[in-house]
Amino acid sequence: MIQFRNVSLTYPNGHKGLKNINLEIKDGEFVVIVGLSGAGKSTLIRSINQMVKPTDGELLIDGENTLKFSDRRLRSFRRNIGMIFQNYNLVKRSSVLRNVLAGRLGHTGTLRSIFSLFSQEDVKLALNSLDRVGIAEKAYIRADQLSGGQQQRVSIARALTQKPKLILADEPVASLDPPTSHAVMKDLKRINKEDNITMVVNLHAIDLSMQYADRIIGLRNGEVVFDGPASSVSEQTFEDIYGRPIKEDDLVGDVSNE
Amino acid sequence: MSQLDINNMKNPKRAKYWWTFAAVTAFMAILYYIAFTETRLGAQRSIWESGPLLQRFFWDPFFMPEIHAKIPDYFGYMIETVAIAYAGTLMGAILAIPVGFLAAQNVGGHFSFIGKGVLNAVRAFPEILFAIIFVAAVGMGPFAGVLAISINSIGMLGKLYAEVIESIDMEIISTLKATGASKLQVLVYGVIPQVLPEFSSYALYRYEIDVRSSSVLGIVGAGGIGAPLILAANNRSFEEVGMMLFIIVLTVTVIDLISTNIRKRLV
Repeated sequence: MIQFRNVSLTYPNGHKGLKNINLEIKDGEFVVIVGLSGAGKSTLIRSINQMVKPTDGELLIDGENTLKFSDRRLRSFRRNIGMIFQNYNLVKRSSVLRNVLAGRLGHTGTLRSIFSLFSQEDVKLALNSLDRVGIAEKAYIRADQLSGGQQQRVSIARALTQKPKLILADEPVASLDPPTSHAVMKDLKRINKEDNITMVVNLHAIDLSMQYADRIIGLRNGEVVFDGPASSVSEQTFEDIYGRPIKEDDLVGDVSNE
Repeated sequence: MSQLDINNMKNPKRAKYWWTFAAVTAFMAILYYIAFTETRLGAQRSIWESGPLLQRFFWDPFFMPEIHAKIPDYFGYMIETVAIAYAGTLMGAILAIPVGFLAAQNVGGHFSFIGKGVLNAVRAFPEILFAIIFVAAVGMGPFAGVLAISINSIGMLGKLYAEVIESIDMEIISTLKATGASKLQVLVYGVIPQVLPEFSSYALYRYEIDVRSSSVLGIVGAGGIGAPLILAANNRSFEEVGMMLFIIVLTVTVIDLISTNIRKRLV
């Protein structure tokens, strides 16, 4: 369970990224955060694992205020949070398997990992993660040989290999074409259901949000302006969140289900 | 219709261009005049005397049996030269890694000026000066050459390494940190794979340079083919000098070809 209590974040340049956020995300929920670019979606999602650190308030995860964690405690806490990015953030010159095994780094001793001495179970786990996103046969190929959609699946596999309780996804499909976007969203949804992993996903595409989310949180100027189940959301809701009429660009477009 | 008479358009900067051109030309002519009158840059002997001398360097050696007999010796010296360059570059390429990391803005942070300062100071000296210092410090011979080469390589490689490190994708670093990886793990899994190909490519390139410079380090007693070269030159046995120059050019060319080929595959 993630609880934001009066969380605010002011960047060093004075820009207010988050303003007094109060939220509660339950275990196993599939939450989609929507809002225009600059609304604070990335800041919100990155403050959960403290890639950016909130400047005020309390951020409780399973009852503990994570903002008070020491560096060491923060590192072990981050092991349990997988993260997926718009640009995949893979080490392009390393093999797919090595990229996926990077998800075990937090669980592996520094000395062992330097010499790539991952346990047999870890390698099996990594291959199994790749298999779950359907690209196990690419394990020994260099990451930059893969297409965008395949690279995003590798990064999902990396997150899975962490055996996380929570996966954060920051605009995971913004660089992908519509069919691939749907495929990646389906992977995330399936993992959410099968492993009961909490998903917090940033999206700006309205139709994707409505289709895959259990719950939608709308942000504008660093404030929560909407919070409700996806079933209660209509296009009107989005016009309220965005503060402007819906445009063609806000939709990914429906793709006939295969 | 435009107001301009396009048939009679002139570049308004044209006159200024010719004035600048004339001024620069005059300035260079004056400098040239000063150089020739204030120093004796003119040839000291006539072209007719130089011809036979150049022939002694670059033609005769190939037809003299007594020079042919010395070729194995010369190759021995050349191998020593190449070995000095190899040992020096290897040491320099490894020692440049910590200095390069320190000098990189995104790793060294506020302290990167220390690394940059060290590298700039090192680069201010030519190799031959380091060679003179080390010959004095550790005595004549190849070891002094190796030290001179390695220190000088650190200067250039450290700077190039730092630039490579500054250009890496920092998002990958924060991604790995977000999985709970330790600093050393981030280095091994995030930084090294991004920089290693460029590092090796630069080290190879530096090796090409070092083979050339270790050929002359012998002049100050730091081992290699430079010592017999300067000796032969002082004895005015230009046929020997010519043959050694030929061997140097041959070796350097072969090494350049191989190294260029490897570097193409690296990056």
